[in-house]
Amino acid sequence: MIKVKNEIVQCDFLVVGGGMGGLEAAIAAAGAGANVVIAEKHNTLRSGCGANGNDHFVCYIPERHGDDIELAVREVGNTLDGGPWVDVDMTRVLLRHTKEVVERWESYGINMRPTGKYVFEGHSLPGQQLYHLKFDGKKQKSCLTKAAKDAGAHIMNHLLINEILVKDGRVAGAIGVDVSEEEPEMVLFQCKAAILCAGLAMRLYPQQNPTYMFNIPGCPADVGSGHAMALRAGAKLVNIDIPNVHAGPKYFMRGGKGTWIGISSTIDGKPVTPYVVGKPSRATGDVTADVWPSVYFDKMMDGSGPVFMNCTDLDNEDVEYMRWAFESEGISSIFDYFDQRGIDIRKDMIEFGAYNSDLNNTGVEINERAESSLRGLYAAGNQVGNVRGNLAGAAVFGMIAGRSAAEYVKTVEHQEVSDLPVIAEKEKLFSAIWDREEGAHWKEPASTLQQIMNDYIPAMTPRTENLFRVGIKYLNDLKKLCHEEMVAENSHEFMRCLEVLDQIDIGEAVAVTGRHRKESRGRHQRLDYKFTDLTLNNKFMRVHKDADGTFHMEYRPRRMK
Amino acid sequence: MPPIINRKKCIACGYCAEICPVDCLKLDKKAKKLIVRYPDECWHCGACKTDCPQGAITMRYPLSHMMLAFPPDKEM
Repeated sequence: MIKVKNEIVQCDFLVVGGGMGGLEAAIAAAGAGANVVIAEKHNTLRSGCGANGNDHFVCYIPERHGDDIELAVREVGNTLDGGPWVDVDMTRVLLRHTKEVVERWESYGINMRPTGKYVFEGHSLPGQQLYHLKFDGKKQKSCLTKAAKDAGAHIMNHLLINEILVKDGRVAGAIGVDVSEEEPEMVLFQCKAAILCAGLAMRLYPQQNPTYMFNIPGCPADVGSGHAMALRAGAKLVNIDIPNVHAGPKYFMRGGKGTWIGISSTIDGKPVTPYVVGKPSRATGDVTADVWPSVYFDKMMDGSGPVFMNCTDLDNEDVEYMRWAFESEGISSIFDYFDQRGIDIRKDMIEFGAYNSDLNNTGVEINERAESSLRGLYAAGNQVGNVRGNLAGAAVFGMIAGRSAAEYVKTVEHQEVSDLPVIAEKEKLFSAIWDREEGAHWKEPASTLQQIMNDYIPAMTPRTENLFRVGIKYLNDLKKLCHEEMVAENSHEFMRCLEVLDQIDIGEAVAVTGRHRKESRGRHQRLDYKFTDLTLNNKFMRVHKDADGTFHMEYRPRRMK
Repeated sequence: MPPIINRKKCIACGYCAEICPVDCLKLDKKAKKLIVRYPDECWHCGACKTDCPQGAITMRYPLSHMMLAFPPDKEM
């Protein structure tokens, strides 16, 4: 039997995931007087996509960008922090709050001005103002962890949350698993509100060397569990049918494409887009990888690839600047690799590849208070669907969620959770996985899941009705087999088993919504519906799952103002 | 497989295992030894290397993660 913790952990506000959004939510809520617990699967000091740093923070600082926030909203909309899949009013909310976050982070000791003044670089189209603050995020997680503790938040590390408990239409608690010791322990939470900040859905699709599932750009611990929990709790998600594609070095998969000072080039060293004229600079770089990340795949398909990141025109100073910027961003392993293998990027170009979808910024739909459609449930960061902003988005909407939740929890009472049927169901499932002596190691279904996603619910190649239909069937078959056969020898493997089940749930939702979208748009390309349905322009597809497991889809207008 | 622990420097304090973002390191408390328990789950992020108080960790990048370098073809 799975061990179950005797006491129920009680708090006002449960933060699921101690990344950038989660820590900001905790700081804000605890600072406003709420009793806050952060549940983090690893350790908030080094967890999630911001584990080792960041080096750009999209922001609007009136002293620098002028008083016209509308110009900033429009121009940021043309960067990787905007795009067609965000509500414009949410970008405005984001930019209204970035300055205060930047200043507060500086007060925590995060180095927002490594050169002594605010410097903005990269990620913008030529001719636009620059909005991406170049900072040194190496210590961001330790600084925010300290700030959260100072504010009074209680951090439970090595504790994953697996289910949000809902009673009478609002959040009542959660089911967690303590994985700090060899034997996992089920832990129940009673809370008035919760925020999901569990990050991307990495490992859903195979990447460029599929044998090594952890050779991926974002943190491999982020597997879309927040998306899956939101779905199972009945909250609405948006646009999860639309695949996003990322880019970076091929075979050594690492994010941070925008930090390269180079030109995306064909084999002859010539640019593939008109975004850079002449030598690339620190200020403008080459925005190609940001705005057309699939270029590295598309050019392979049309016969004009491969495409390389060409830094051969850089001088030593720029190369050393890149080294510093990669360290700030937490991707120092790239230069460590160059050093170990004697690669000189002034002589050799580095081939780039398009990275398969990771559900970045397609997910939970939130409003300007960071509330989801489920009462008491908030979300922030990469698992949110209708606003981007990446790091800054996580921070700002985490902060807003914390403030909103602190007000909300004053208006409601705790609810009894121990009688909820889902607890007994989970205890049975957990015990089956834990008690089984022989069975399927988590990597078996994890690799099959990636294969099914790639073959039947693809992100990089065309989709069809038949592919979706069989893909949904196969995913459900796989889920059933996981329930019947998965086995774990210790808490680490137990955690991985639960991750696979979450991934299958979210994969199914991608398939169901993709099947519902009977047109081609962006990377959602259908061979059976090749046209773009103009009546769906600027429409977002919402999905939610009801208590009996039925999916419901609807289109709603994108908020354009 | 990465990371590589320098046994002469490592004092088995377990800090790297505590903060690893993917839980691939473990401290064997009985043997007082740090082990790379799940090497193929390493993200090569370098958090352990950066945070090791003894400077006992270096990274090795496996050949499954080979970067592809190519000189620009100026003749074309």
